[in-house]
Amino acid sequence: MLNPRAHAELPIAGGKLPPIPLPTNCPGCGVGLDVDVLRKRTYVCDCGHHFRIGADAWIALIADRGSWKERWGDVRSHDLLNWKVPKPYQATIDQLAEEGLNEAVRTGTCTLGGRAIWLAVFDFRFVGGTLSIVAGERLARGMEQAAASGLPYVLVSASGGARMQEGVLALMQMAKVNAAVGRLDAARVPFFSVLTDPTFGGTAASLALLADVNIAEPGAAIGFTGPRVIKQATYADLPAGFQSAEFQLARGQVDMVVSRTELRLLVAHLLEMYP
Amino acid sequence: MTTHGRRPEETTLTVWQVVELARHPNRPYSLDYIRRLAPDFIELHGDRLSGDDPALVAGVGTWHGRTTMFLGHQKGRSLKERVARNWGMMHPEGYRKALRLAHHAAKFGFPIICLIDTPGAYPGAGAEERGIAAAIARAIMEWFRVRVPIVAAVIGEGGSGGALGMGVADRVIMLENSIYSVASPEAAASIVWRDNSRKVEAAEQLQLTSRDLLAMGVVEEVVTEPEGGAHLDFDGATRVLDEALHRHLQPLLAQPADELLQHRYERFRYIDSLVHAEPHFGPKID
Repeated sequence: MLNPRAHAELPIAGGKLPPIPLPTNCPGCGVGLDVDVLRKRTYVCDCGHHFRIGADAWIALIADRGSWKERWGDVRSHDLLNWKVPKPYQATIDQLAEEGLNEAVRTGTCTLGGRAIWLAVFDFRFVGGTLSIVAGERLARGMEQAAASGLPYVLVSASGGARMQEGVLALMQMAKVNAAVGRLDAARVPFFSVLTDPTFGGTAASLALLADVNIAEPGAAIGFTGPRVIKQATYADLPAGFQSAEFQLARGQVDMVVSRTELRLLVAHLLEMYP
Repeated sequence: MTTHGRRPEETTLTVWQVVELARHPNRPYSLDYIRRLAPDFIELHGDRLSGDDPALVAGVGTWHGRTTMFLGHQKGRSLKERVARNWGMMHPEGYRKALRLAHHAAKFGFPIICLIDTPGAYPGAGAEERGIAAAIARAIMEWFRVRVPIVAAVIGEGGSGGALGMGVADRVIMLENSIYSVASPEAAASIVWRDNSRKVEAAEQLQLTSRDLLAMGVVEEVVTEPEGGAHLDFDGATRVLDEALHRHLQPLLAQPADELLQHRYERFRYIDSLVHAEPHFGPKID
């Protein structure tokens, strides 16, 4: 599929990935983990297990070192429904902000192998990477600007779906974002989507599966309704691997399943082929 | 807002009572309205790819002197019918059928009326296997390209992405005792508390009644139902729905298609503009 020599000089990550909390042993193969080795391998174990990484790590991975320019990082969410239980929503988002997380989606421009792109990354650590008003706003603004400027749009998703605590306005983000996907599409600007573990609900049913090329990480769970709810609603026994990236590949929903260690080369190569 | 003597905001119902009215087993369903609005209605079937989804009725009928495309979630009345209609929960074939007929309507210049009444898209293995997420995603994107006027009305339950997949329109109105939500109260309780028995609490938190949505600026109008609710008077409910749909459609018919699509884009792009106006939201677009 890839000509490995075409981008032989391109490192597997643009910069140094930040540390992430890790178990002592790999959940995939049980082998004890060497944090430094794993970090250099973009948090992919030798056995192929992909650890979940946050938005900061994704930006470090995709963007050429020093090229990231974040946009609209000052757009903040707030508690519009006065959501109280089980925990006040405002307290939840304030605490996450204190931990240094800036909403479920961050967006901006950068270069990848020298090519300028728009990049949007979900962060599963922020309320399960849920699509919120701020997330939708950052996504839509970025896609509108990509459509206007012609810069390719790269998305990395990891999301439980729409954010319950923002009610029907969170649902409406699916329409807002997909309207912008339509603009990107009409402008014939390339859109590459990387689906990581997990991508569900309103995120899977909006922009994540609408790209020109859908790329899934090995083993990532991708679907609309989560397995717990399917079992509750239909009493179905779901087979092993149900809704995995490989399952979605076999059913025609993604173009390919690619290891994170090869992702950067792949996207760089795609960017060359889709000018 | 229509004011037939009583204003919809003057309600004494609790949120949960509204949820129960929206789901009332005797409430008029899409076909009850469509057959009254357009007695010459002809049903059209199939997505032309793999199947027909009985949870979505679709077809053409003459309404106010004009051929109109009607699309609606359809629930069943008897147990047998409910099973056949899958409780109004669409599979991927339903969204593909809706898109096929939306483009069909645009080809012939028929305006489109969408009636929304679903707990959500079908949460089952078959729907997942056949790509329900992408089917909804594509439907939502494509609705923005349909070059004829679309008016949507929530007539009962507007549940989650399954409803929004049929809810991208130039005007969206709600019957008084209908609901529209990011997730059903049961699903929201299950997601937030991992306990779907806390549905009443969830319903109260979600702000899902027609009045809440009007206040948030998500819908254009709340249509007052006949005294006691639509289930007590099908003809009366059809009359108020007919009047409101027609009133909203009328100005759209005169709009050039490019302008129509631009306004539809802006309707959803800035649907949270009430929030934008809040100081915490940060600067407006630079």
